[in-house]
Parts: sequence; C-alpha cells; structure tokens
Amino acid sequence: MPPTLRGCLFVIGLVWKNLRRPARPLVEISHGTWADLRKGAESLNPFDYFKYRYYEKWLGGISGYFIAKGYITEAELDALTAEYYNDPGKPLPQSGDPTIDERVVQYLIEGDSPKRDVGVRYDLAIGDPVTVKNVPSVEHTRLPGFLSNKTGVVETVYSGAYTYLCDTGADGIGAAAMPVHCVAFDPQELWPGNAEPNFILYADLYAAYLQPAAAAKAA
Amino acid sequence: MDDRFRYDADREARSAARVRALEALLIQKGIITGKTVDTVVDFFETKMGPFNGAKVVARAWGDPYFKGRLVEDTPKAIAELSLGEGMAGAEGEHMRAVANGPEVHNLIICTLCSCYPWPVLGQPPYWYKDPTFRSRAAREPRAVLAEFGGDVPAPVEIKVWDSSAQIRWFVVPQRPAGTDGFTESAMLRQDHGAG
Repeated sequence: MPPTLRGCLFVIGLVWKNLRRPARPLVEISHGTWADLRKGAESLNPFDYFKYRYYEKWLGGISGYFIAKGYITEAELDALTAEYYNDPGKPLPQSGDPTIDERVVQYLIEGDSPKRDVGVRYDLAIGDPVTVKNVPSVEHTRLPGFLSNKTGVVETVYSGAYTYLCDTGADGIGAAAMPVHCVAFDPQELWPGNAEPNFILYADLYAAYLQPAAAAKAA
Repeated sequence: MDDRFRYDADREARSAARVRALEALLIQKGIITGKTVDTVVDFFETKMGPFNGAKVVARAWGDPYFKGRLVEDTPKAIAELSLGEGMAGAEGEHMRAVANGPEVHNLIICTLCSCYPWPVLGQPPYWYKDPTFRSRAAREPRAVLAEFGGDVPAPVEIKVWDSSAQIRWFVVPQRPAGTDGFTESAMLRQDHGAG
C-alpha cells in the first residue's frame, strides 16, 4: 500500500491512541484515545465538519492533540509542512525504539475493551419501553442526537458493565461502568411523516442515556 | 466570501505535506519510529481485513449451525475458526453478527463517527464515514441501498443497527443462489460479500 494520505493519517491515529510514553519523554505523559479524536471532530464548526473530508478532520484532530499536549508546536509543524510541500520527495527520518512498534501491534492484537469486571444492577429488561434522556452533553457524547427524548423498546441487555474511553461529565458515561442496551426505535416516531416504511432502527445505548418510559411520562 | 467556504486548489498536496510533516516530527520526537506506519499498514494487509470476514461468511453459508452460533455469540463462533491473532482485538473486542434472510435485510451504520468491525472487515470504505451516508441511512435506508445498486423489495423488512456503544456490527449476507454443494473455498470466490 503506498503511503497515501489515508494510510498515514490512519496509522498516526492508531499510534497516538496507543501512546504510553515516548522513548525520550520531553513532556508529561498523556494518554490519547479515540475519544480525543472524536472530540476533535465533534468540536468543529458545522460548516467545517462538512467541508473537511474524514481524514482531513483526523489530521486536524491528531495534530491538534499533539500540539495541545506539548509534543510538537504548531510553528514547527507549519514549517516542516512547507518543506514537504515544496519537496514532496524529501525523505522521512528513519529511527526509533522498536518496542514502540511492538506496543502498537500489541494494541491491534489485544484491543482495548470497555468491559469491566464489576457488578451492576440491571434496571431494564428486554421488551421494556424506554425513553431516551436529553442529556446535557458538552465536549463529547455517545448519544446520537436524533434519539433524544424518543421512546423505544429494549431489544438486548448486554451482559456485563461497560465504561467509556473518557469521562463525559454531565453527559453521563465513562466515570463508572454501567449496562448497555440495544434499543429498537420506530422511525415513524423518530421522523413523523418523514421516514421510510417497513424498517426498524436499533441503537446501542449506555444506561445513563435511558429511563423507563413510564418514569419519563410521570416527570 | 468567508474563507471558510474557500477550497485550496492544491488541497490534496497541502494535506499530504502536512501528514508527512506530522509523521516526521513524531519520528524525530521518538513518539513513533520510522517503521511504525509500515508496521500498521502490514497488519491491515495481512492480519485484519475483509479476508477474515469472507471466511466467516463462507463457513456460515456452508454450515447453518455455525451460522446460528455466529448470530447467537459472535466472538465465540469466530474463535472456532482459528483465523489468527487479533480477531477479538482493536475495534473487534465485542462484535455482533446479524444475518440477512428472505424477509429481512440488515444495514450497519455509525451515525456518531465510523465504528466498524476491523478484524473481519478491515478499515471502513470512505462512504461509510461520510456524514451524508450516516444521516440518510438512519432515515431512508432503502433509498440509500438502492443508490448502491442493492434494491431491497418493499415487503422485506430493513433493520438498521447504529454502532453507538461497544458493539461492532457486521452482516452475514444471504447465500447466493446456485451454490449448493460448493466447497468453502469455492464459496470464498463468490462476489456476494457485500450485503
């Protein structure tokens, strides 16, 4: 595979996600996750979100992360960008600690499961009608916005408890592990008069985003 | 006109240069090595990709009991196949398969970003990550599928699965007609992998 824009961006995203400590630590160690990349995309001006293609957003998010954490400066990135723009054949440096590459492969093989070995209470059961809360998301969320305040039916109660890559604060996930449910929604309720017939939409939702439909009605 | 709506004529070249610069800086600072990009690219060319998914589907087509187990407990069923390292690895820690049938057609989306079951399908295609696809598929899946050349007849129910938590979904397409008696390797050569 040629070193295309796509390949490089994807790989750098992967590696940065796996960042543990640089071989020669220059700054405080930070822990990058996919949540940081998602936050970078979610914080974009909506016009920019549709202007920039997927990997252009990643480039902004990843370089922004490294700049914010002090690993690189914007000035040096701009300067080196100009060099590579004027000389696309300029070679990359060839060096580094091979244990870094071993850790990257280790992440790919082992993954990073959000499942935690803690007991939780399951307040919802298969078949229960549930209403999606309208959580006060700020920096990041795993609640698709079009589901806020909508009512569906629990299709699956996943066994186990699940955390998230970061604490989303008032949005409600990531601080403690919790159940996750697959919920079925009627598109005619999601988009009255504006949805195709004969389909069901399912979404996997953290328990913090759900409440029993009866409780929502009473409130 | 606001600069926001202006596109550089050399947008691709500028982005490519910036990626190269970022990679160079990260190598210089010891965060990645000069071999890291190739290492990851190699992993996706040889260990984690649609070649795994094809084997899972071919087995499911030939063995309905395996297909049942695959839908019931996807990671456990995949582990039966000895496909190699990483099948429960990055973005495949919790995979879930759903099967198409004569009365139901499944479509996987990620409205929030681009979550995708890497071990069985590799990296997602560009359209899967496109905001227009992600939003339209949630509201008019049959029209979107038709635009891809997959006409799903009106009486067939469509199930759209939004990958908004830990699950990474994938679809087991229907076994193509005319494959009775095929060996698994013959089924691997069928071009019906895309559901």
